Amino acid sequence: MSPNYWEGELEMVRLLLRFSEEIVDQPIVSELILEFKAPINIITALVNSKGGEVLAEVPQEAADKIVKALRKRGVKVSLPKLIEVDAEKCISCGSCVALCPVEAIAFDEHASVVFNKEKCVGSTCSACVDACPVRAIKSVKQTNHELSYTAAKGALGKQ
Amino acid sequence: MGELKLKPQKNTRTIEEINAKIRKGDAQVLTAEEMKKLVESSSIEVAFKEVDVVTTGTFGAMCSSGAVINLGHSDPPIKIDKAWMNDVPVCHPGAAVDLYIGATAMSETQAYEYGGGHLIEDLVKGKEVELRATAYGTDCYPRNSIRTNLTKDDLNQFYLLNFRNGYQRYNCAVNSRDETIYTYMGKLLPKMRNATYSGAGELNPLMNDPDYETIGIGTRIFLGGAQGYIIGEGTQHEAKSQNGTLMVRGDAKKMSPEFLRGASFTRYGTTLYVGLGVPIPILNEGLAKKTAIRDEEIFTNVVDYGVPRRNRPKLAKVSYKELKSGAITVGDKKIRVSSLSSLKMARQIATTLKKWIEEGTFFLTAPVERLPLDTTFKPMKQTETTSFVKNVMQMAVTCKETEEVRTIAERIVSKSVNHIVAVDNAGKLIGIVTSWDVTRAMAQGKTQLADIMTRRVFTAKPDEPLEMASKRMAEHNISALPVINDEKKVLGIVTSEDVAKLLGRRT
Ligand code: SF4
Ligand code: SF4
Repeated sequence: MSPNYWEGELEMVRLLLRFSEEIVDQPIVSELILEFKAPINIITALVNSKGGEVLAEVPQEAADKIVKALRKRGVKVSLPKLIEVDAEKCISCGSCVALCPVEAIAFDEHASVVFNKEKCVGSTCSACVDACPVRAIKSVKQTNHELSYTAAKGALGKQ
Repeated sequence: MGELKLKPQKNTRTIEEINAKIRKGDAQVLTAEEMKKLVESSSIEVAFKEVDVVTTGTFGAMCSSGAVINLGHSDPPIKIDKAWMNDVPVCHPGAAVDLYIGATAMSETQAYEYGGGHLIEDLVKGKEVELRATAYGTDCYPRNSIRTNLTKDDLNQFYLLNFRNGYQRYNCAVNSRDETIYTYMGKLLPKMRNATYSGAGELNPLMNDPDYETIGIGTRIFLGGAQGYIIGEGTQHEAKSQNGTLMVRGDAKKMSPEFLRGASFTRYGTTLYVGLGVPIPILNEGLAKKTAIRDEEIFTNVVDYGVPRRNRPKLAKVSYKELKSGAITVGDKKIRVSSLSSLKMARQIATTLKKWIEEGTFFLTAPVERLPLDTTFKPMKQTETTSFVKNVMQMAVTCKETEEVRTIAERIVSKSVNHIVAVDNAGKLIGIVTSWDVTRAMAQGKTQLADIMTRRVFTAKPDEPLEMASKRMAEHNISALPVINDEKKVLGIVTSEDVAKLLGRRT
């Protein structure tokens, strides 16, 4: 019996998927959702007839299998870095706010800047990082799982 | 009761009266934001009667900031010539061991990321910093060099001495260019996709007393988390255009790193965020009215920082209310805007100052001289003529896309140039070919110009400063830029050779 990835609190891993012109019209993601019975959340997608770049989130336990399957189907997989904001350092100036394309950074009602990690698309964007005057925003590797190594190696090896 | 009735209604109060109330613990203090609400919900008369002091605050990047330090003498003594602290060059404007740390001086090993602002923050935090200094040696100061580690406790004096702080209001910046630019107004996306502004608007100190009735030399203020003083108007101060500024001083040993933060503006440089708050004594109804000023009454210009000239184009007028709302409108374009200064910190400063006064630890001072109302901010007098692209550009040798490589080769030889600019029938730019492209094409047996010309061409505008064109050529490793107007019509060409001749001669 395959494990049920839909239940409980899931540790998710973010993956950056690159589809070439040849495979962009194939329903690869839907196939894998069915095959592994695991959620694959699409966070952002930039797709046209020439190919596509998709930022997706998969459960950590299924990540290795999914990455393997994706690569078998010709998808280039890499691990994007995540953005972290150090609330201790942040002075709530707002320099980052208007730069964010997905409104992951905003002012709350007390004029404090709050960062919504879920909404942030990560290192593929990074628009805010070099705009922070006190360097409170950092790009960090996703390290809490084993995939970091294999995925990074795979990405290097194939590109 | 009868006696009271006979007393005339008093419509002024003095700083001495306010200080007496502070001493007794019953001075009425409101932050500037609270004052506006009170006036709105009651009246100026009521606000004047009820409020003794209004506190203001601002927290922003203030580049003309720095600290004077005195190191004491070493044995044998040294008359410092050049000095560095944590690799940041520190000036030595005075005698042997007095130094000035400028907020914008950048570390020689970590340029852009660490500078005078960070150094001041580290010292304020109590961190140890490394001092290196060299000297030429004199009979009385024989030493040639020194290296030592210091904290603020080892310094005799450590004074913040800022020559321009607390701008009354500031520009809102956008960028019309096709590329992202990094400025002292932060990161500006291409084609006006974002805007930045600075300043606390209705919480700003000078905006709440725009005629400087109570502000001048000797006014005690909140500076960097401690008590400091205004020592005069800041540089570039201009009252009549609502561009007043402050020169301030305070004991940095008593300050807090929360209100003094070193900062880095990517590809621009380092600076210091300074927290500053001024108490406004409500001496009369006029001041009650002035401190009721709202964001919607404070305007500033939207300025195009994409144009690297002194007179940058002003594109629109916006209020601080619009700025704080997160979006402004320029023409029919809605632009997302965010601040570089911190409203949250500005509020915290106004609130802290209010608390100090309520607790009786902060007393007001009357200025010995008010800030001037008549100074003007003049542009620099330039005795050398500045060069713009139009001053050095030459006639461009042009061609049509349909021509053959051979013809172009002949033209390169006959005109003795290295670049031929391809134009359409209307004279508009479509590409460029270099003598190198032509040589290679002939070697490869290519005959059609259309196959070899570069279509993505870097260009220059006639009114651009020459340095910008020179920088663009160096960045893209190219040796010439066609000069075009807004309609892409070719006006000429500027080559790196011509630029080097002119810029080289000047240095
Ligand atoms: S990296 Fe991009 S999406 Fe994430 S917070 Fe920064 S600007 Fe927003
Ligand atoms: S730019 Fe940096 S300091 Fe300013 S609000 Fe964003 S994270 Fe905070």
